[in-house]
Amino acid sequence: MGQLTVAQRTRGVSRRDFGRHAGAAATLAAAQAFAPFMFVGCRPTRLPAGRQPIRVGLLHSQTGTMAISETSLRDVELFAFEQINASGGLLGRQIEVWGPDPKSRTDLYPKRARELLDWGAAALFGCWTSSSRKAVVPVVEERDRLLFYPVQYEGNESSAHVVYGGLVPNQQILPVIDWFSSAAGGGRKKIFLLGSDYIFPRTANFVAKKYMAAQGMRPAGEMYLPLGHRDFGPLVNLIQASGAECVLSTINGDSNIGLFQALAAARIDPEKLPVLSTSIAEDELRNLLPEQVSGHLAASCYFQSLPTEANRRWVEDFRHEFGHDRVTSDPLEPQWGLVHLWRSAVERAGSLDTEAVRAAMRDGLEFAGPGGLVRLDPKTQHCSRYFRLGRIRTDRQFDIVYQSDAPIDPDPYPQFAFPGWSCDWTQGGITRGPEVPIDGDI
Amino acid sequence: MHQFYWVYDLPIETFAIMMIAVFVGFYWAGLGLLRPILRQFVKNTRGANDIVGYVLSCFCVFYGLLLGLIAVTAYQNASDTSSNVTREAAALSALYEDVSRYPDPYGQNLRWILRDYTRYTIKYAWPLQRQGIVPVDGTIRVQAFQEKLLDFQPTTPAQEILHAESLRQFDTFLEHRRMRLFSVNTAIPPVMWYVVILGAVINIAMVWLFDMKFLTHLLLGGLLSAYLGTMIFLIAAMDHPFRGEVSVTPEPFEALYTHMVEE
Repeated sequence: MGQLTVAQRTRGVSRRDFGRHAGAAATLAAAQAFAPFMFVGCRPTRLPAGRQPIRVGLLHSQTGTMAISETSLRDVELFAFEQINASGGLLGRQIEVWGPDPKSRTDLYPKRARELLDWGAAALFGCWTSSSRKAVVPVVEERDRLLFYPVQYEGNESSAHVVYGGLVPNQQILPVIDWFSSAAGGGRKKIFLLGSDYIFPRTANFVAKKYMAAQGMRPAGEMYLPLGHRDFGPLVNLIQASGAECVLSTINGDSNIGLFQALAAARIDPEKLPVLSTSIAEDELRNLLPEQVSGHLAASCYFQSLPTEANRRWVEDFRHEFGHDRVTSDPLEPQWGLVHLWRSAVERAGSLDTEAVRAAMRDGLEFAGPGGLVRLDPKTQHCSRYFRLGRIRTDRQFDIVYQSDAPIDPDPYPQFAFPGWSCDWTQGGITRGPEVPIDGDI
Repeated sequence: MHQFYWVYDLPIETFAIMMIAVFVGFYWAGLGLLRPILRQFVKNTRGANDIVGYVLSCFCVFYGLLLGLIAVTAYQNASDTSSNVTREAAALSALYEDVSRYPDPYGQNLRWILRDYTRYTIKYAWPLQRQGIVPVDGTIRVQAFQEKLLDFQPTTPAQEILHAESLRQFDTFLEHRRMRLFSVNTAIPPVMWYVVILGAVINIAMVWLFDMKFLTHLLLGGLLSAYLGTMIFLIAAMDHPFRGEVSVTPEPFEALYTHMVEE
């Protein structure tokens, strides 16, 4: 029997056969094509709206003069958000951060803040200098968002759109004066007020002078020098001539190098004429020579050498993540606390809505941070914090010589300095008193 | 082609099975539905199987060459990108060692910025690259480093030599970094994909024209289609060097960062 031709075989296929074959093939094809999707599923590239990440803006200079200080702050924020993400996120959503660079220029801070809010940031964390904070406040007020500000500052300010994590003068400057006057501080009442010439030192010293006046004290002298000033030789002579027993320094930035050089050159003994700085922390000490600066003092809410288990673990984790030569310092610890306070507020509110978050904060929030318990004061939106005084060691760390018994409540408007002024965001906000000229007579 | 990028989010095994399933499924579906129609064209032709076989062989030579060349191109792209990432990490490592010899705090500040850059690249830039987004925030870190590097004023001949070497190394690093960013969207052009897909469809259609038992047809054509799907999966998996499981990883940066933080 010869082979069938193609035509013969085609003729041999009935419609029924064709239908049966086609059905079998179609079923097999469908099963093959859809099996992977049915059994393993395929992830859509776009997440549903409820699962979109929460966006948070970081507002820190990464270039320019403020970069070295502010990048450490940014690092601790990244670390905090990464840990929150690793633990499942916030409200079941991951947190996405973005930090454009304001380049240490005050005029760029509000611009970058607007960019972050346009991007969809639910909250902003950042700023260091008072001028940058003051430039950003109108933006967050206009856009109804919250700024979390971690650095110690001069007080005399409160905004419903800012949560302040650092110390204000009643938590830092006044305890310094009290300590110097006490037996532990050597009963020193002749205090020389020295500062860089900008808003924080002038306001802080104004509060200090008012407080000293209320105690029957007068400063041994007062002097302001431009930021970046280096020639402190004549000034050291002036301090010595004033009969000062100690110096309260609000000198900021690189000027500290010149100040401590001049003190060392004049062979000033820190035991006899201690300089207490409000703006020197572990990060700043890297730029100062230990032999010039050791023995002098600093006032802060946190020191890396704090001997608690919580702090030891936090420092270890931070160094494990960023390097063993990295240091933790005052603004880093408050910012860590602020991130966690914000997280608690959002979780309590169940929403990112600013008013809901603020309402959650008004119920009172606490966070047990590496530096101890932090309480958010709902009236002022500032934090209750410990006051600590440290003596600088040769290894660029601090020996803690004094610590307040409990966290000190914040008072951005101490009545002896700003009579009639107060703020209570649980009841109406700021009560205004008469204008107080900072540079006026005491 | 961006509407197909979701395939890179799939596990590699699923991606492979899916590609094979699509090709085999297409072949089987066509065999059932189109075979009787297509066979009308050759039904009165003597030795039709031989003719289809000759044409298919001829076609397969060209198509095989095309697939081979495209596979090599995709592999070369991935390989070049991987080499460049390694070179960037090596340049970064050398730069880190150079600035470690600067006096502190300059040296420490420079090292911290390079560490920050490395960490950013691993944790933030890489996930963006995997989505085909060119990460831009690394530029801020590079600018910060450059600013601090240029701040340094050498005071001894040894420091002058070290500084000159650091600047040279910095340029090398910049060059490799730029190449990595350029390669984020490196891919086989869409027109080549169109030709590949068209070729596969023609290939399968020719197999439909063969005259043989239905089950034999299902099996033999299915095997051919499965291999076609595998080849095209291979090319797709290697395409886009930063996407999917078969992609360039930040491993050189991770090794460097471990060294940086543990030193």
